[in-house]
Amino acid sequence: MAEVSFICKRTVISTRPVQPGKFFPLSVLDHIMEHNHLRIVFYYQLPVVRKIGELTMKLRESISEMLSSFPIVVGRLIKSPEGRWMIKCNDAGLRMVEARARVTLDEWLRNVDREKELKLVHWEEMFHKPYFWSTFYVQITEFETGGLAIGLSCTHLLSDPKCATMLIKAWADTTLGGKIISPPSFRPLPSRKQEGDTPNHQPYFQMINHYKSVFGKPYAVSDIKQTTFTLEFKHEMVKRLIEMAGALPNGHKQELTPTPFEVLSALFWTSISKAKGIKGSLIDMSVSLDTRRKLHLDEGFFGNCTVYNMVKGDGLNENEVSKAAAAIKEVVSEMNKDRVMDLIEFLEQENIENPPWMTGYHLICANLENADPYSAIFEGNSSPVRVSYYLEPAVGPGQVLIYPSPGGDADFGRVVMVTLGEHEAENVLNDALIQQFSPTLLMSFSKELS
Amino acid sequence: MASEVPQFSHSVKLKYVKLGYQYLVIPIIITLISLTLLQTGPEQIYQLWTSMRFTFFQAICFFFLAVYASTVFYMTRPRSVYLVDFALFKPPQSMRVSFAGFMEHARMGLFTEPKSVHFQMKILERSGLGEQTCLPPAIRYIPPCPNMALAREEAEFVIFSCVDTLFENTGIKPKDVDFLILNCSLFSPTPSLTAMVINKYKMRSNIKSFNLSGMGCSAGLISIDLAKDLLQQYPNSNAVVISTEILTPNVYKGKERAMLLPNCLFRMGGAAVLLSNRWSDRRRAKYRLSHVVRTHKGADDASYRCVTQEEDSEGNVGILLNIELMKIAGEALKSNITTIGPLVLPASEQILFAISLIRRKLFDSKLKPYIPDFKKAFEHFCIHAGGRAVIDELQKSLQLTAEQVEASRMTLHRFGNTSSSSLWYELGYIESKGRMKRGDRVWQIAFGSGFKCNSAVWKCNRTIETPVAGAWADCIDKYPVHIPEVVKL
Repeated sequence: MAEVSFICKRTVISTRPVQPGKFFPLSVLDHIMEHNHLRIVFYYQLPVVRKIGELTMKLRESISEMLSSFPIVVGRLIKSPEGRWMIKCNDAGLRMVEARARVTLDEWLRNVDREKELKLVHWEEMFHKPYFWSTFYVQITEFETGGLAIGLSCTHLLSDPKCATMLIKAWADTTLGGKIISPPSFRPLPSRKQEGDTPNHQPYFQMINHYKSVFGKPYAVSDIKQTTFTLEFKHEMVKRLIEMAGALPNGHKQELTPTPFEVLSALFWTSISKAKGIKGSLIDMSVSLDTRRKLHLDEGFFGNCTVYNMVKGDGLNENEVSKAAAAIKEVVSEMNKDRVMDLIEFLEQENIENPPWMTGYHLICANLENADPYSAIFEGNSSPVRVSYYLEPAVGPGQVLIYPSPGGDADFGRVVMVTLGEHEAENVLNDALIQQFSPTLLMSFSKELS
Repeated sequence: MASEVPQFSHSVKLKYVKLGYQYLVIPIIITLISLTLLQTGPEQIYQLWTSMRFTFFQAICFFFLAVYASTVFYMTRPRSVYLVDFALFKPPQSMRVSFAGFMEHARMGLFTEPKSVHFQMKILERSGLGEQTCLPPAIRYIPPCPNMALAREEAEFVIFSCVDTLFENTGIKPKDVDFLILNCSLFSPTPSLTAMVINKYKMRSNIKSFNLSGMGCSAGLISIDLAKDLLQQYPNSNAVVISTEILTPNVYKGKERAMLLPNCLFRMGGAAVLLSNRWSDRRRAKYRLSHVVRTHKGADDASYRCVTQEEDSEGNVGILLNIELMKIAGEALKSNITTIGPLVLPASEQILFAISLIRRKLFDSKLKPYIPDFKKAFEHFCIHAGGRAVIDELQKSLQLTAEQVEASRMTLHRFGNTSSSSLWYELGYIESKGRMKRGDRVWQIAFGSGFKCNSAVWKCNRTIETPVAGAWADCIDKYPVHIPEVVKL
């Protein structure tokens, strides 16, 4: 049933022209994400019910205002003489699609699945000539009785999930109050030379080896149809899970309490391994983190700061969530500033010709807890009722994205979006251990389409 | 079109002689008359009076004759037409078009015609436009969506915005408007745009409205001329003149190069002007209309066919510009200034022009005609910002300085070619720069399809104080900008 009808597609541009001749080089962390793109959906239930199209017009004005602070978003990709990507700030604009849904927001959220949700986010693959290709796409879908969905898609070359969320927050701030509360900062990643550190320690190889292992691998494709489901874990349940995971087999507690991310990722790691039929160990998993805080960069740093590291599954049992959580904790703690700088140095020296598939060969578990999507308020006090993140394309063994749930700041409530092959997804969803924590099924998958 | 001043004029000595001559002629004539008057002393004048021996009756008759003559004189004198104020449409910057954005859309639209896309790029590079010109939303859709509903939306947006500002600035009520004249060349729906305005503002039922369409970029001055004629006929009335061009229905979707130019140059714009012949407005009015001269070269076939709206071989409608356009524009301009010259030039220039004309007619028709120095007649020039070529050509042929064409060039840069309203943007520029002083004379020249060349002469009624609120207010400080010959895209 065609619930979402397309109205038009147009180009939106910033209100203030950029100074001509500006270029912005992309960093090494940007370059390695070339094969990926992000798609995010923010849902709002706004208090005021307007005439159809009025809200869209208001949002169009405010996005133009906001884009004056983001010249990179409206620029275009070109390659430098050395073959590195950079953005030419030429004010070409970004594409905006306007659509209408003939249902109310509640109805939509009850029946939504991956395919339907992706209809709310327009995306176009990179053109043969990227100079004419818009790197960002925004879709505004108006629902009946004041519902709104904002879809943002962008190439991962320019932005990681935290950065894309920041863009929407900036847009929301501009709509609500006329100015951006935390302006973005456009600067290169920190380098050792700048900081005056002399590396007199052994570089940390595990992370570098993980990156090395994906270099030179062929184009990743998925032969099975992938689907996505979303679960919400309430604060109390996550606390219980932490208690459970924190307890060692001998009854004592672990020294360091695991974080919500660690326990939830451990829970799904074990469950997914079971669903894939692996016994006696867990499949290798790649954990991704936003390293802005670790690198002492401000929250408004524009670009990629997401770093991946491998958690080995050997020696872990699919029934021991606590051990899995401990393993994840160890790996995460190794991703400190020094290690990340080592990685950046390695990547800069490496001169990779073909960008690798960072998300194509391992189960990905992404920590999006820093993203802070619920502060993006467009009107009144209406913070998003739901947010969905998609790390595309969906190839590889699977993905688990973990981010905060709406309502409550220091809450342990989390939303988990899992992308797996259909059959495995069913198994994970019916996993007794997961069901013990009574998650709410926010989005399921329709089994008829296969 | 480049008419050259005769060779001997280039020598320096003669230039000074000419300058001296222009400064001396009038004072010499005045001195001669005063000398004559002074020579005849007061007693001689009294003797002259008494010798005439008027009776009381004759004196009364002469008195009444004088009163009657002066009444007739005042009644038949043409009424002064005042320009009370004008309002410019300021397009929102969210509708602006950057060069890169324009080229991307051009490429998307003409995907299979790289040569035509390349041509548009070349035009844009040399156009003299800046990065803040605006296009209506319908043209920025992918693909462009030039339907009637969106055209009406654009019309409402542009026209109502100008008229609201005009009413606010002048304090006039919609019900007080006696004449409503609107010109919009390429969009003429039913009910007309004037009907749209009358409906929105609930104007009087006995308002006289005129909707001019199809008359090209010079239609703004045609509307002013029509308003002038009406205001001469009807005492104590006012007229609102709206000049705009609605771009939505006119985007050219084909690939013919001669028809792609308007796509590159035309941009959103509009102006609303309040004219009045009321005695009460004579103090607050900004300008007084001195002359309007209209020249139509339509009788000549080449001029007539120079700018035509037609379908290309694929059925796309567009405006075809002939390659002879500049030459024809030059001819039309020559005609126009031949008519306007005697009305505005000082006596010194007119005598020189007359001498040159006699010489050419009687002695040697090969002698180059004398180009009167129009800088003597006007303080400010508003040349229709039809394109960089038009301004360059007129600057050369009228021998204008860079400052005199600055208003035109900067309007082209900031607003693009807004068709008939560009003259008002240029006037707004001069005002915003604080250059408009009481007594200054302004010459507005516009060209249009047909081929027409129309000009209007205004005299500034009161010094315009800065800052001037309106379309130029937020960017006037950045101007003038240097516009490079070619902007590399």
